[in-house]
Amino acid sequence: MKRMKRRAMLKGTLFGGTVAIGLPMLDAMMPRTTAAQTGAAPKRIVFWFTANGTRQDIWSPPANMDLSGHPLHAAMAPFSNKLIFLDGVDQDVAYDSIGDGHQTGMACVLTNAEILTGTLFCEGNCDAGNEQYVGWGGGQSVDQYIADEIAKDVVTKFKSLELGVQVKSSSVWSRMSYSAPDQPVPPREDPNQNFTDFFSEIESDPFALKLIQRRRKSILDAVMEDHAAFQNRLGYEDKQKLDKHLQSIRDLESRLAVTTNFGEACSSPELSLPGGSFAQNDMYPATGKAQMDMLVMALACDLTRVASLQWSRSVSGVRFNWVPQLYDEGHHGLSHYDDSDESAKADLLEINKWYSEQFAYLLGLMDGIQEGDNTMLDNTVVVWVNELGQGNSHTRRDIPFILAGGCQGYFNTGQHVDFGGEPHGKLLVSLTHAMGKPVSTFGVPQYSQGPLSGLSA
Amino acid sequence: MLAQGIKYCLLFAAVFVAGCNGAIGGSGERAINDGVAKSLCVVDTPIRRLTRFEYNRTVRDLLGDTSNPADVLPPEEEVAGFNNQAAALTSSDLLIEQYMKVAEDVGARAVLDMVALLPDCDPGLEGDDACALSFIRDFGGRAFRRPLSQAEIDRLKAVFDWAVNDPDLGRFEDGIQVVIEAALQSPSFLYRPELGGEIPVEGDVVPFTSWEMATKLSYMLWNTMPDAALFAAAEADALQTKEQIAAQATRMLDDDKARDLIRNFHTQWLLLTHLDSVTKDTSVYPAFNGSLRPLWTEEIQAFVEHVILEGDGSLQTLLTADFSFMNEALASFYGDDVLDSVTGSEFRQVQLDSNRRAGFLTSAGLMATHANVNQSSPVFRGKFVREQLMCNTLPPPPNDLVIEPPELDPSKTTKEQFEEIGANPACAGCHTLMNPIGFIFEHYDGVGQWRDQQNGKAIDAIGEVVQTDDIDGDYDGAIELASALAGSTQVQECVSSQWFRFAYNRTVTQEDSCSLEQLNDVFRSSNFNVRALLVALTQTNAFLYRRAVELEGDAGGAQ
Repeated sequence: MKRMKRRAMLKGTLFGGTVAIGLPMLDAMMPRTTAAQTGAAPKRIVFWFTANGTRQDIWSPPANMDLSGHPLHAAMAPFSNKLIFLDGVDQDVAYDSIGDGHQTGMACVLTNAEILTGTLFCEGNCDAGNEQYVGWGGGQSVDQYIADEIAKDVVTKFKSLELGVQVKSSSVWSRMSYSAPDQPVPPREDPNQNFTDFFSEIESDPFALKLIQRRRKSILDAVMEDHAAFQNRLGYEDKQKLDKHLQSIRDLESRLAVTTNFGEACSSPELSLPGGSFAQNDMYPATGKAQMDMLVMALACDLTRVASLQWSRSVSGVRFNWVPQLYDEGHHGLSHYDDSDESAKADLLEINKWYSEQFAYLLGLMDGIQEGDNTMLDNTVVVWVNELGQGNSHTRRDIPFILAGGCQGYFNTGQHVDFGGEPHGKLLVSLTHAMGKPVSTFGVPQYSQGPLSGLSA
Repeated sequence: MLAQGIKYCLLFAAVFVAGCNGAIGGSGERAINDGVAKSLCVVDTPIRRLTRFEYNRTVRDLLGDTSNPADVLPPEEEVAGFNNQAAALTSSDLLIEQYMKVAEDVGARAVLDMVALLPDCDPGLEGDDACALSFIRDFGGRAFRRPLSQAEIDRLKAVFDWAVNDPDLGRFEDGIQVVIEAALQSPSFLYRPELGGEIPVEGDVVPFTSWEMATKLSYMLWNTMPDAALFAAAEADALQTKEQIAAQATRMLDDDKARDLIRNFHTQWLLLTHLDSVTKDTSVYPAFNGSLRPLWTEEIQAFVEHVILEGDGSLQTLLTADFSFMNEALASFYGDDVLDSVTGSEFRQVQLDSNRRAGFLTSAGLMATHANVNQSSPVFRGKFVREQLMCNTLPPPPNDLVIEPPELDPSKTTKEQFEEIGANPACAGCHTLMNPIGFIFEHYDGVGQWRDQQNGKAIDAIGEVVQTDDIDGDYDGAIELASALAGSTQVQECVSSQWFRFAYNRTVTQEDSCSLEQLNDVFRSSNFNVRALLVALTQTNAFLYRRAVELEGDAGGAQ
């Protein structure tokens, strides 16, 4: 991975036109974060989701962690000493929870909480009174918890960044992040919009930027006054809804003036944005790459410390047309053939191998950014999660968790650990410890008694 | 691995057979103790957030902005088959951030044409303040869909004043722009509060104000803000009686904006967004290519729009018509099924072979969507009819079930293959509900083209429909089935309940029984005319009244 130049130009193609944004202006701004002032690289955590389980039969790495010949993970071989493969970690809570296999796998994976009873979701369309209904996820997700805790120390431009690649719908099948029980967090799916949202302010000179901030503040102040008057007339439930809305405005306003940049790593690889076609199936790789590029750039510029990249959603039907030998059938369909179906297994190998290659690309970007003595990857932990272990059985046991990056030495990387059936809540607890925001349990206490042993250095 | 499959099927049957044999029940989400409200079929009306679809149309009508700016907002939560269900639409930090940015974009575009924004006020002649106030009253009132309070006028004027006094802004246009941005982020724009009037009709049951009624009507029947006529009626307080409201509804259905309603509803009810991602194995179906997808969708949309808004409006016609709408490319895909010759890319009405096609149900788009990539799918087609047309709820595949679609067997028809699976008694619990209905559609292959034979064998399109309210029996082919569906009370009532959910933005509760009954009565007496059903949706107590808002501190209910 080539080392990126300081003061590189941020380049991209937006809707067919090329944009170039000069970054040096950042120096003229007044950074507000402690990190930026002291120059110490912060810890970050990134969640990475792929769907429909994996090929459990071939997923584990060899004992010597040499991935170079591995059918799924060969692309990650350069980073094998920065990885931990976790075997035998189960989503126990998903088996207690109401909801189908994909629903529980998705809603529980970052919350370790049971899905709420409710009248929102079931298979197909429902009429009232059917016992197949479920609600949203029942707990705050660990990414949002960590983000809230970090926000007590430092205000970054975004409390957290949730990026998605063709997630498309909004349902209990498609949300893994929750700001609170019953409050799903939608991912940002349009790379073009993200480019604007994350980096457009860099384009402005400091005075223009100040004006934008002043302007937004004046308008949001008026909007908030409006909210207060509006809410007086509402009943309890409506008021709850509007309270949350108002809280988001307050939060937005409090972050308006934040213009952080973290040291010399704040620069960018060249971007190729997919324009208006980002949601089309065949643009899945291009959209994903753009999102990865921007995710790493956002971390390098310290726009946030907590991020996620969600590829599609549980029950993902993405068609991997770009993998040459792949039959033109969606991922979910392919994941449901019997274990004896060699053709389907070959296809699932290709799909999961492709995801490993994308993961390796992200790790390469992060490992190519030097931050003091470490790379960004060393300062981060990237957590690969999946709602299932394997698709055809909907099992939520032996989820293919991979950790990448040591989170500033917290994790003892370069190993493969078989936990033999530990609940995944303990992994979530481990992540809070790694990020310096330790809890003793997370979600359902029964399934999260302390961190997993053997992970930390 | 067959043994394993059977084992899983047994599990499936044991756990879910009750779900498949049971009737669709209705139970309230919460008890309503007040006998008055219950006897009148009146419930609370939740506050509603504009969907992206509604936001786009609202700024089109408010500011002439046709750029669909809300498309960048996060997608709505999909519940009970629709994306406009008030209880499900959540707010998030991302949504609020994007509201701000969308408002900025809309505002910036709007002030490019100041004359259009302020046709009746020239700041040069009448002064900035006078024009600003006139704009705030007029634009603000239309944005909030009611007259502004003095406090609201003052707040927006203060934002205007801030901008014109800021050293880096200062222009009149800047002031107007920030007023637009503030209004578009106000809850009064983004939400539809329907809080009701002051004076109860009985108990705590209150009617809506005429301003609220104008908004209720326009979002229900147009998916956008009220037009000038509705505002005028509200101003005159002339949206109070059922007759006044029905007259407006009838007028509104004659307006082109009703097309948005019809298309939006059918996109969701008939799962038309699934068409966008249909793909086929072109070695099996060489006739398929991606450019068919929008044509398939447009065929269905043009058809339902025509039948409901310009045609006889009847459910019978929707399900059994021997005509459709096509352009040349689509007609050539249908081949002999189309009796007229069609040229050009414009869609036009065409006559179909009535032995082969009936209404939207046999459209290629629906047939292709509910099929596998390389063969038809009796399961998917049966599921579609059960769930969308009969309002059955089929249980989801259970945990840990290996679901194994049959591989293509060139010696058998699809029906023969699926019959083997369905014959397994362990799987039959649910699949007898779906597969036989699917068999009835076997004349339509995996892309929806007509076939008389498969793998050298004649198509057998006979299927036995079971466990319905009123159409159990054998049917040979979709033409027969479509006709039976059109005459089925279960289907008719399903259609009205689908419209209820979509139009009222909420699920049906026990308290709605008299309103539903009223809808079904009107639907029946109009010979199942969808237009009549839409007008009837404005005449139920569920639409006309709500229970008075219980403010915090009023009673023990709030906490």
